[in-house]
Amino acid sequence: VLELAKGFRGKKVHRIARDRVAKALEHSYRDRRRKKRDFHKLWITRIGAAARLHGLGYSEFMHGLNRQKVELNRQLLANMAILDPDSFKSLADSVSSLPPLKVSLLMPFFLFF
Amino acid sequence: VSKKWYIVDATNMRLGRLASTIAYYLRGKDSPMFTPSLDMGSYVIVVNSEKVGVTGRKRTDKLYRRHSGRPGGLKEETFDHLQKRIPERIVEHAVRGMLPKNRLGRAMFRKLKVFKGGDHPHGAQKPEPLPI
Repeated sequence: VLELAKGFRGKKVHRIARDRVAKALEHSYRDRRRKKRDFHKLWITRIGAAARLHGLGYSEFMHGLNRQKVELNRQLLANMAILDPDSFKSLADSVSSLPPLKVSLLMPFFLFF
Repeated sequence: VSKKWYIVDATNMRLGRLASTIAYYLRGKDSPMFTPSLDMGSYVIVVNSEKVGVTGRKRTDKLYRRHSGRPGGLKEETFDHLQKRIPERIVEHAVRGMLPKNRLGRAMFRKLKVFKGGDHPHGAQKPEPLPI
């Protein structure tokens, strides 16, 4: 396979390039998986920041969303927070106006002690 | 994206807690536009930095160390002492430890402006008080 080692700094001699290309392919394999994780993290951070602007935190916000019969918002649609803040605000409002859960749900946690 | 300016009065605030929130804003994590690859955080001005507080016996016991790079060049200094000498550095040191330690982190650090006393030359930026 011809070295498609385009754009590599100074390593275009077949012998050396072979190794560098192998490494580059390793990196790209690994990072295709990493990329998914990285974006997930970013979305969560952004959702959290946006939620805080509305007096909630990421955890409360997502909890509220789940309670409303699984709003499958999928983090990517927290692009909404940037591009369409009004829709995001209405989501945040729908969460804040939920009635609080009854305290009895905390009982299972206390049984651990 | 234009960056906001904030101002905080350090008087009697707990060092670490203050530094933690400052770093948060310096990084820009308060905004949904947060982007880890760029510095889109806010500027923070700290005023009255000589009045920042610590609990317990830290005032006399907390040590700041630095090494000059030469053998045997470790130098210690107590909080108390440093505060009398260069009070701004206390806050700077605390915040710097809470920012990422890379090129971007250093750039973020430059957005922190610490002053002793109550005045600062950045009136033109109309800073708002930092929400704590």
